[in-house]
Amino acid sequence: MSPTEPAVELHGITKRFPGVVANHDIDIEVAAGTVHAIVGENGAGKSTLMKILYGMQRPDEGTIKVAGKEVAFHSPADAITRGIGMVHQHFMLADNLSVLENVVLGAEKLHGIGGKARRRIEEISRQYGLGVEPDRLVEQLGVGARQRVEILKVLYRGAKILILDEPTAVLVPQEVEELFGNLRELKREGLTVIFISHKLDEVLSVADTITVIRRGTTVDTVQPGAVTARQLAELMVGSELPVPELRESTVTDVPVLTMRDVTVRDADGRTVVDDVSLTIHEGEILGIAGVEGNGQAELVEAIMGMLPVESGVIRLSETDLTGLVTRRRREAGIGFIPEDRHRHGLLLDSPLWENRILGHQTRPPNVKGRLIDRQGARRDTERIVRDYDVRTPGIDVTAASLSGGNQQKLIVGREMSGRPKLLIAAHPTRGVDVGAQSAIWDHLRHARADGLAVLLISADLDELIGMSDTLRVILRGRLVGEADPATITPDQLGSLMTGAGEGSAA
Amino acid sequence: MRRGVKITAIVASAVMALSAAGCGGKKATTGGGGGGDGKKTVKVGLAYDVGGRGDKSFNDAAYAGLQKVQSELKLEVKDLEAKEGESDNDKIQRLDLLAKSGYNPVVAVGFVYATALGKVAPKYPNTKFAIVDDNTVQAANVTDLLFSEQEGSYLVGAAAAKKSKTGNIGFVGGVQTPLIKKFEVGYVAGAKKINPNIKVQIKYISQPPDFSGFKDPAKGKTIAQGMYDQGADVVYAAAGLSGTGSLQAATAGKKWFIGVDSDQYQTASAAEKPYVLTSMLKRVDTAVFNFVKSVGDGTVQKGDIRFSLKNDGIDYSKSNPTALADLPTMLDDLKQQIISGKITPPEK
Amino acid sequence: MIYRLLAKSYTRTIVAALVALVFAIAVTSIVLSVSGFDPPSTFQAMFEFGKEPDSVVNTVNRASGYYLSALAVAVGFRMNLFNIGVDGQYRLAAMLAAAVGGAWALPAGLHQVVIVLVAVAVGGLWAAIPAMLKVARGVSEVISTIMLNFIATAIIGFLLHPGRLAVQLGPNNIGTKPISSSGRMPGIPYPGSELKLYSFLVIAILAGLGYWFMINRTRFGFDLRATGLSQSAAVASGVDARRMVVMAMVMSGAMAGLIGMPQLLGGSYTYSLDFPAGIGLTGIGIALLGRNGPVGIAFAALLWAFLDQSSQILDFNDIPKEIVAITQAAVLLSVVIVYEVVNRAGQRIDQRRVATQLGEVTA
Repeated sequence: MSPTEPAVELHGITKRFPGVVANHDIDIEVAAGTVHAIVGENGAGKSTLMKILYGMQRPDEGTIKVAGKEVAFHSPADAITRGIGMVHQHFMLADNLSVLENVVLGAEKLHGIGGKARRRIEEISRQYGLGVEPDRLVEQLGVGARQRVEILKVLYRGAKILILDEPTAVLVPQEVEELFGNLRELKREGLTVIFISHKLDEVLSVADTITVIRRGTTVDTVQPGAVTARQLAELMVGSELPVPELRESTVTDVPVLTMRDVTVRDADGRTVVDDVSLTIHEGEILGIAGVEGNGQAELVEAIMGMLPVESGVIRLSETDLTGLVTRRRREAGIGFIPEDRHRHGLLLDSPLWENRILGHQTRPPNVKGRLIDRQGARRDTERIVRDYDVRTPGIDVTAASLSGGNQQKLIVGREMSGRPKLLIAAHPTRGVDVGAQSAIWDHLRHARADGLAVLLISADLDELIGMSDTLRVILRGRLVGEADPATITPDQLGSLMTGAGEGSAA
Repeated sequence: MRRGVKITAIVASAVMALSAAGCGGKKATTGGGGGGDGKKTVKVGLAYDVGGRGDKSFNDAAYAGLQKVQSELKLEVKDLEAKEGESDNDKIQRLDLLAKSGYNPVVAVGFVYATALGKVAPKYPNTKFAIVDDNTVQAANVTDLLFSEQEGSYLVGAAAAKKSKTGNIGFVGGVQTPLIKKFEVGYVAGAKKINPNIKVQIKYISQPPDFSGFKDPAKGKTIAQGMYDQGADVVYAAAGLSGTGSLQAATAGKKWFIGVDSDQYQTASAAEKPYVLTSMLKRVDTAVFNFVKSVGDGTVQKGDIRFSLKNDGIDYSKSNPTALADLPTMLDDLKQQIISGKITPPEK
Repeated sequence: MIYRLLAKSYTRTIVAALVALVFAIAVTSIVLSVSGFDPPSTFQAMFEFGKEPDSVVNTVNRASGYYLSALAVAVGFRMNLFNIGVDGQYRLAAMLAAAVGGAWALPAGLHQVVIVLVAVAVGGLWAAIPAMLKVARGVSEVISTIMLNFIATAIIGFLLHPGRLAVQLGPNNIGTKPISSSGRMPGIPYPGSELKLYSFLVIAILAGLGYWFMINRTRFGFDLRATGLSQSAAVASGVDARRMVVMAMVMSGAMAGLIGMPQLLGGSYTYSLDFPAGIGLTGIGIALLGRNGPVGIAFAALLWAFLDQSSQILDFNDIPKEIVAITQAAVLLSVVIVYEVVNRAGQRIDQRRVATQLGEVTA
């Protein structure tokens, strides 16, 4: 590879899917031996672009050059022979095999499966400072180590250009630092890294060059020294960002949700929610901060009655929820914006008005007695579409045909229509566009002013700090700390989340 | 989607082209309406139960009779099969179709046709019908072809008991129906006549309404194998196609096997032949042929025609003389006693 | 225009079914031609024979059983429950109902009701076994219902024995004691045929209407469909998935209990050795062909019955009637594929329509 040639050049890449253009006129040059970040909102077209570069999809127009030579990839195998490797966001490792076995799996021809392969793995590990032990079972490894195995897998297959898709999404801050150390090491050895992310602080700290993608096309390429995170964010969304913030406190002393010593175990008997006690009052938004996978999802499911509680009490106002099924809990006044709206919030193949009924199958205006009230449900769906600005040509299109933001607005509208006392909002603005984000925050603020109690779970620390009256930190299923959203910074909250500030003021 | 429509159009035109261009093939007719010219040629119709031709046993015996009709009497023949899960109405229509199209006589193979025949026979008083294994239809133009399977089974039972060195023999039934029960009791009675202390192992492959026992050679083999392992040295399989499996077990263990319905020595492979002791013959072919012939002669009689040892409708085969050795002397003596009424093998 | 057509789900179904039928006829034609038969005259013979009054009666009667069977299967399919045990459920139900009906003579009207109720109850209870196994122990209903089919056969074999529930009907046939005239349902005459339509047909149609109403108009139906479309979303919405499994399975079994009734009350009056078997398995294909909808299933059942019926004439022309099995298999296979293609096309049209109407052509 000549050092003057860019490692990868993309020119005029356009990819159309029926009905939508996922990418158009993408132009990117990635210099060899650099870390090049590609940032953009969810749905901006980053994944499609990476699939094109990795040979999983073919562009309708445009050219791809690798080390100055034009290429046409028909499959990931083609990309690998050209030295392009991909580290997926979700690891593709077999837990019950050793690191060695995982690495050679599918690449047995390169160095066999025995001593030669082991020596090669150890050599790569040393060269790039990955610290991978070939004989450990993958199931014994932590998330960071598994990611390093994935990177090693790609290097083992001879990659000189590495694509990392949202690599930090699953890591805690220390692991992120370690990863960045590895990336710098790779760069020093002459490899090129394409780093996809939407976490701007991280991008600014590790990348040499940053390309911003918005609405399927490249809008700018900048140097990290020349922009702030906020400027980058505004490039990403193409407008000024809404600010999550609350006005004067509306918190009352009337408890709505009371949890006392709640413990939940999963199917394997592991404690996933450990002795949690909390109270949310009327007009209060309580935010739960924590690295994903520390019991937030299980906490929500326990309140919803989707997971059995091992011990402890959950009350909604005066009602004891323990022992009630999900439907009774919803009827008692819980609204639920689920973390994964496709899995838990919508019937994707059903029309909007049927989705209006979901979760409210026993309540007017959706039903009369044991029968579905189609007219009532349809009328009320029209109202939600109007009041919550759901952009749709009608209420008979399927939920799947709406954009993520509009799906989410429909869900928010629906859950608010049940006049809940408590709203569980899990990542309410994840993967939605800026307009929908600001609308959803508005609705939360209004409902709070009307006395709604909200349990807010989010990975977006700005959202958490800005929208919460009270902040609690969850770590390994335990509430380990409390923070004042008026004074805490995202950095401080981040370190609380990893347990660094354990025992502060619980 | 426009592409999809195009594909549809192409497929549609292909179908038309195929349909139009399908010249040279045999033309099909709709049946019916042929009753008028029924006088010119005598046409013989036959309707099977589910399974039909190819069972190497009962239905095939009927087919053999039909073939003989075709070759010896030079008559036109037609045989129709039943479909799985059909009702009496379908059987009515099948018999009706044959009668309406000028087939005369019409033979219904199997008791399952009883109800249907009861409805169709009165409609066609000039058509002669016959039904095998049933006598519940009361009509002037219906002949019931019945068999005394117990008599033949009695003889092969006696042969088995005489041949057995271990005093232990087996009976493999296909499906536990009243019909197959007749085979079993006849066999046991014949064996006990020769050796009152003989042990008879009795097993059925399946229970009705599961009729798979007539067409499951693998199970026929396993069960026979089990009997030989338990000390039996002769096994009688009244189990249709499943009996071929029992014969395999006999060959493998170098033990004796007794066939049923047709002479299974004829259909056995060279390696198997030495182990076929004899077969209980149920001459459905003879019954069908004689019935058709009697229609031609004008000597047809309504009601029961019983096929037994007396009129050679039931018999045992002597095609393996080395195996039988001196047994026929004794068996023919028993046969005479049955014919003369000195012995009456039980039916139930 | 095609866009607008495909936007409606029932037009998608119709288009898929027609394409599949054309495809099946094409495949059958090829097979016929290769085997040396003439396709046009073969189809003509089938059609001519199929429209004879006797054939129409047999087709409709056969279809009534198929229809009920497919409805039973569809109840489960609607929530992704695969009740392969419809066959065992209906046979056991018909046998016990026939035994009860034959044992007692009740006043006309009541007699039939009792027989049908016994059948429904037996079918439902028999289906409750796999439901409980699934809910309590996580046993796949596919496996357990298949096994229970064999067990049902064995139980019927045991009970259908002289001295137990059976009597001798002829020298070689046994069955339950025939139901006296007070418990029979008189047939409906059909012009030009001496055969009669089963009057239970009316009840089959009512069952179809009831199924439609239950699925589309009741809360229970909504929960059922929601569970089928997305179990996780249904559970989050407050549907008790375990209860739904039991309810749907029992309803499926109860519906299965009706399958043998047209034949039992309108034709044979006894459950004998030659009572039709296998209708429950045919129902799986018909439910698939009819896309689990009450109207689609009706057409599918009639088509299936028509093919079965008209295949008789093939035998008569020395054309192997197994050819019809090829047609049926081709219809089934292609409808599944074609529907998927048409449906995806329709969904894409939907999405594009939303996008263009909103003027937001982006990712």
